[in-house]
Amino acid sequence: MSSRRSRSRQSGSSRITEDQIADLVSKLQQLIPEIRNRRSDKQVSASKVLQETCNYIRSLHREVDDLSQRLSELLASSDTDSDQAAIIRSLLM
Amino acid sequence: MTPPARLNASASSPCRLRTRFVLRFLKTLVKIKRSTPPPPSPSLSLTSSPEKIGRHSQRIKLAAYSSMARAVGQRRAWSRALMLKLKLSDKRKNRYRWLAARKMKQQKTLRRGCGRILATKRNRSEKGSPSRSCSGVDELRRLVPGGEAMDLGVLLEETAHFVRCLETQVRVMSIIADCFP
Repeated sequence: MSSRRSRSRQSGSSRITEDQIADLVSKLQQLIPEIRNRRSDKQVSASKVLQETCNYIRSLHREVDDLSQRLSELLASSDTDSDQAAIIRSLLM
Repeated sequence: MTPPARLNASASSPCRLRTRFVLRFLKTLVKIKRSTPPPPSPSLSLTSSPEKIGRHSQRIKLAAYSSMARAVGQRRAWSRALMLKLKLSDKRKNRYRWLAARKMKQQKTLRRGCGRILATKRNRSEKGSPSRSCSGVDELRRLVPGGEAMDLGVLLEETAHFVRCLETQVRVMSIIADCFP
């Protein structure tokens, strides 16, 4: 892998080989749960991986929106500081 | 189940990243909570206005993204781009402009992307390479902070890291939300 990288650096241009891109796309494929859970043996096309990645990122953004809405409602209703100590303890230990 | 790594232990980087994010995010949450005055009587707390909740949820969302970007630090291009964007919008003292600027940027890159798609569609019909979808890449560039300026290889790496960090963010926020009684 490092030899491949040094070879592309020696060429001086920003051109990346198709192999490297395929490698990165397959790494991305492992992260997307939609594709990971399908467990199909045939190769998923790169455009499909990119599409699923975009959808996944958008769904994560939506989840963050929902969670921040939920957190703001909870913050507005709770009044003790002991909750926060319990949260910190449960997250860090 | 193995217990999560402690702060002082030489933990693997995902745990350290999560800890850094958690600390910053919680500090900001406490700050947001302290900035809201408590309701004068318990009966009025139920009528906490939806606009106030909406404003706070925007602040919390920004706090989450900025805590995550700061926890990653200068190591990644996307976190650098995101921190710069947030700093610029903060300097103007108008946080909502960050969202408006993002929308404007999306429209600008959409217009630019259309031109690029038209050009590459012509090339694609000549070359016939089905593996690379240019519209998919353009959309990814819009979603990842700083994506417009990156090469394809760098963009894919940054996307992988960005997705992992977003997952961590969602997981932490849902744990915090579940901890409240």
